[in-house]
Amino acid sequence: MNFDEALYWTFIDIANGFLTGTMIGGYYAIISIGLALTFGVMRLVNLAHGDMLIVAAYLASVILALVPISPFASLIVIAPLMFGIGYFLQRGLLNRVSVQSMEAKGLPPSFGLMSPILVTFGLGIFVAHGLLEIFSSDARQIRNSLAFTAIRLSDDLNISLLRLIFFVIALAILVALQLFLRRTHVGRAIRAASDDAQIAPLMGISTPHVYGVALGISLAVAGTAGVMIGMLRSFQPFDGPQFLLIAFGVVIIGGLGSIVGSLVGGVLLGITQVLAGTYFGPSAQLVAGYMLILVVLAFRPQGLFAR
Amino acid sequence: MSTSAPETQRPGAAPAGAGRARRRALLTVSGLSAYYGELRALFDVGFQVTSGEVLSIIGANGAGKSTLLKSIVGMMNRGKAAHIEGVIDFRGRRLDRLTTEKVVEAGVTLVPEGRRLFARLSVEDNLLAGAFLPRCRQSAPKKLKEVYDLFPRLRERRDQVVSQMSGGEQQMVAIGRALMSSPEIILFDELSLGLAPAVVDDVYRNVKRINERGATCIVIEQDMRRAMAVASHVLVMLEGRVVLEGKPADLSDAEVTAAYFGSDVGRAHP
Repeated sequence: MNFDEALYWTFIDIANGFLTGTMIGGYYAIISIGLALTFGVMRLVNLAHGDMLIVAAYLASVILALVPISPFASLIVIAPLMFGIGYFLQRGLLNRVSVQSMEAKGLPPSFGLMSPILVTFGLGIFVAHGLLEIFSSDARQIRNSLAFTAIRLSDDLNISLLRLIFFVIALAILVALQLFLRRTHVGRAIRAASDDAQIAPLMGISTPHVYGVALGISLAVAGTAGVMIGMLRSFQPFDGPQFLLIAFGVVIIGGLGSIVGSLVGGVLLGITQVLAGTYFGPSAQLVAGYMLILVVLAFRPQGLFAR
Repeated sequence: MSTSAPETQRPGAAPAGAGRARRRALLTVSGLSAYYGELRALFDVGFQVTSGEVLSIIGANGAGKSTLLKSIVGMMNRGKAAHIEGVIDFRGRRLDRLTTEKVVEAGVTLVPEGRRLFARLSVEDNLLAGAFLPRCRQSAPKKLKEVYDLFPRLRERRDQVVSQMSGGEQQMVAIGRALMSSPEIILFDELSLGLAPAVVDDVYRNVKRINERGATCIVIEQDMRRAMAVASHVLVMLEGRVVLEGKPADLSDAEVTAAYFGSDVGRAHP
């Protein structure tokens, strides 16, 4: 291999790292946006986030077994369904253990910081075991015709069509979410409540409702991510926590509570992992990802796009 | 009370024939007590506000003025952390058991102490947040124009993030934001807090203008002279009780000062 050839392959490796990494980053962003949103709005660390992704993957697999439609079309049912689950989960369960309701019960407000974390932790375990009970531990996958289709950019550079579609969907969701938060009355109310939850009611904003909408949106996006997970790989009832870890990584890199940060964090994590995998082998992917998280925590603990 | 103030223009506002002879009370507070946990902050407070007037509530720090306003807008209904007893009647509707958002929907709002703007939102987003109620959304653009006409400086700075603005400008945003919900009664908590005297004059001129446009105003003020100047009716509070009440013209400075500082003169329960 002469020098020119070596240079060419270096270029291809790096180009591939950036391309594939960026595509994966979109997918990571969709996995993480919900976590960033609920943390940003109501300081909720939803430890059941990963398990809810898996719930959506199972829901999609059930729907697709009943009705032979495209997995993407199943989102028409999955997203609203997950929104509903999120809304009622917040109103029926999580609002009851918030700082405000702890105060109203005469308990120290600090209970309200810890309780939602414990409740979502328990919820995650409950959900995973529920899935195990219903679906057994057999791995499932959402079949789709696109899984092995690649787009050829040059002789040595391809991108997966599925990953490209996921990236486009990720961008679309991101833009839609930003527009929703900036331009609509409910979006503005969510931002107002996240800024000052005590004063928001003076605008006629019901914070329990707004929080319900926020977790609803969080899980609707998570539902989309769940379907994506099912299309990319097989899943089992206890796979949730590994996606929660990805989401935490992305949110730490991008900045807690920032939606744009989720995309940037996801892309950075994706590129780091692909390049590490190319140069140091598959086992280096995870290590490199955590190294990146460590570096960000050391030098910019608030994340790159902290609000 | 004040007879020069205009009637509110709201359709279905005052009952027919109520305007001429004797103004009906718009807001009646009776037997109001407020508690923070076990600690009692208000003791059997009672007063009336009629449509179109400016009520000034004066009193020293800790007299219960802010607690009184918070009680009216439902911010004291917090279970064991804080609660109220007594009756708050607005147009025949009980406000004392309502959540804050329901009180605002009924037509009563508060400009909170220290302004409490949504710091990361722009001027315009802060104002539009004030028009969240379904009944206000349709008219939000019109209302926004009214607020910008009242405070032209806010129109120039509509895209600015509020945390970068001066105290006086922030107070304009806070007042404008309250106006966006088209309230019949606006409660102002310590408008002059942290503002330069010239700015405070400006703020009070705006309160006057808002009142002239039909809103009934309740103002908390530590500066006695200023409170008397703006008011059509004055309430002096001391240690959680109303100790003096009347029209500014009927009250002597000595009487008010005595009530403010808690000497025996003029101590009366309404």
